[in-house]
Amino acid sequence: MDGASPLERYLERCGGQDDLSTSPQLFTPMSPYDVDLPIQTTEDVLFGSQFNQPKELPTDFSSVDLSFLPDITQDSKEQNLSEAGHGMQKEFDGAISSRNEDSSIFMDESSLSYPDATQPSPEASGVCPPLTPMTPMTPVTPASESSGIVPQLQNIVSTVNLACKLDLKNIALHARNAEYNPKRFAAVIMRIREPRTTALIFSSGKMVCTGAKSEEQSRLAARKYARVVQKLGFPAKFLDFKIQNMVGSCDVRFPIRLEGLVLTHQQFSSYEPELFPGLIYRMVKPRIVLLIFVSGKVVLTGAKERSEIYEAFENIYPILKGFKKAS
Amino acid sequence: AQQQLVCAACGCVLAEGLLTTTYAEEEHLREVAYSQSTGQKEQLSRCLQRGIRRVQDLCKVLQLPTVFEETAVSYFQRALQHPSFHLVSLEKKELLGGCCIFVTCRQHNWPLTMGTICSLLYVKQELFASVYLSLQKELGLSVPALSLGDLVKTHLNSFRLFQHAANVPAPFVEDKEKMVARTMQIVELASETWLVTGRHPIPIVTAAAFLSWQSLQPAARLTCTFARFCKLAGVDLPPPAHLRLKELLEILLRMASQLAWLRVFNMDKKTVVKHIGDLLQHRIFLLKNAFCLEDEEEQRVVAPGEGSPGSPPAAGGAAQEEGCPSERKRQHEGVPRPLLPPCLINPRKRLRTAAPSASDSAITGDEPISDSEIEQYLRGPEEIRAFRKAKAWP
Repeated sequence: MDGASPLERYLERCGGQDDLSTSPQLFTPMSPYDVDLPIQTTEDVLFGSQFNQPKELPTDFSSVDLSFLPDITQDSKEQNLSEAGHGMQKEFDGAISSRNEDSSIFMDESSLSYPDATQPSPEASGVCPPLTPMTPMTPVTPASESSGIVPQLQNIVSTVNLACKLDLKNIALHARNAEYNPKRFAAVIMRIREPRTTALIFSSGKMVCTGAKSEEQSRLAARKYARVVQKLGFPAKFLDFKIQNMVGSCDVRFPIRLEGLVLTHQQFSSYEPELFPGLIYRMVKPRIVLLIFVSGKVVLTGAKERSEIYEAFENIYPILKGFKKAS
Repeated sequence: AQQQLVCAACGCVLAEGLLTTTYAEEEHLREVAYSQSTGQKEQLSRCLQRGIRRVQDLCKVLQLPTVFEETAVSYFQRALQHPSFHLVSLEKKELLGGCCIFVTCRQHNWPLTMGTICSLLYVKQELFASVYLSLQKELGLSVPALSLGDLVKTHLNSFRLFQHAANVPAPFVEDKEKMVARTMQIVELASETWLVTGRHPIPIVTAAAFLSWQSLQPAARLTCTFARFCKLAGVDLPPPAHLRLKELLEILLRMASQLAWLRVFNMDKKTVVKHIGDLLQHRIFLLKNAFCLEDEEEQRVVAPGEGSPGSPPAAGGAAQEEGCPSERKRQHEGVPRPLLPPCLINPRKRLRTAAPSASDSAITGDEPISDSEIEQYLRGPEEIRAFRKAKAWP
């Protein structure tokens, strides 16, 4: 490549150190800058090079998949590199401090686990270390681009305290919409038609309400269950109503190379096709778990507030779009 | 015991008390149980010792390098100390050892599959999966993806087709190098055409191995079925492999439709196998022509392929002039279809939940609740009586 920017010249120098052509393997060991065939052929298209026989692995870095970087011009490439680096530093510190505070299951400790990964280096000398921190802790979002897609809420789980002891057998006898199998589960399962939801009612007076499509619907449904319990003769109150979990889903409308995503965002991603067809992405900020599928469908869960779902999606969308080009 | 006397200025110890191994001060003059002494902590518990031995044995069975054994043992020790694993059942502890080996192998790109380790441990994959995921999270391990290339080599190692044997007819024996090379190419092709992402890797490798084996000597082998092939080779035929085979053949047939000298033949699933060699050789060019890129904005590259005679531009151009079909429609061969994962090409008819309607969105959660609405959920007295009788409830 001629007229190279400082980035490209740097990468070419690194590329010269690697002796990739000695490797007969076409699926090379994991290192973000090793050439993986799917990315390589599409990079050919992007860079307009001639048809290569895939056996001949290129020794220059024109095939390196930099698609995780935001869209940038030649001039601003180097500038963005340093920005991303700084951004990463800040997020890294942020992640460490929030890690100390939280003990929740969503904190991904693997994000700080580099000492454990024995990453094999490519055949000859190592990959240029300064480039490794390039993978941002939270993705660098291009300035004003919003996805235009709004995740749809699919399920809300909430809890409320009715603050009185309940006789579950009595409830199951007097209510039409109740199920109670004490041998199987120690709660009454009650359902109402509008909003279409299910509640688990425990003898302690605590209740879990699931299935609503919005926070307001969940609250309305929980109130209705409380009213049913009241009408059955119990002094039910409505204390400490809280949304515990929100699940949303949406479709980005293009296929996603999960193998590529797990390489570039390894500290957040878990992709085990032997176990589950989707990629599990544990976003740090906001603390949301995303299930990303090859079809482009995304499930977001773990939110306490609707805004977390929207924010998580806006964070992931540019990353996913980066992989669209590789398909 | 005497307290230690330390000089405040230089810090040297002037007098030392009797050294004890107790936690509590000796003034209480209690006998010290072994479990309370620090000796307890320095020795490995029997459970840990047994677990370590098991890990070492498994590494030897799998013929792993010694360094893997050391790493796996260290992970195991760390894991067992962790509160989430300290008190689990012995079965799970053994499973944990297997997980540590699995993680070590993955980190060194040793292609050990979960299936293999589960069969060695005699455990169900679901249980293994849950322990593996918690291990990964609790210890904060980063586990690289399974390397398909290595998996191909390892999986083919277990095929019994490379040497003459009593039950293997002579024309079925194949050269290992050739078969590995061609299987790799077919697996690559599958990966480029979205057949690999999100799917279990072994069935794909098995299907690719079958196709590559058939194509190396089609005359003798076309009549052999997939099931028979696996039986002869001494490997399992996993259920999804049939589907993967079908998908691969569909891809190959589309590619064949773009090779000028093959157009005269009426290709079907059997005959295309004979030409897999050619198709693989020109696969980049053929893929570009057989499948239109999903994004209409991208230019369709009709470039001269290396070494492919005939007039692909003419034929390909005609096909492309018909226009790229809409993404979700299935086109018959010859006309480019979008290169998409199978789940997008054959979407299963699913009941799409309607977006929240205007009335739904207007809900505030504080609406008044009418008595009649609630009463519909309550049983009337006759109902209760009937119910009581039926269920003999107190």
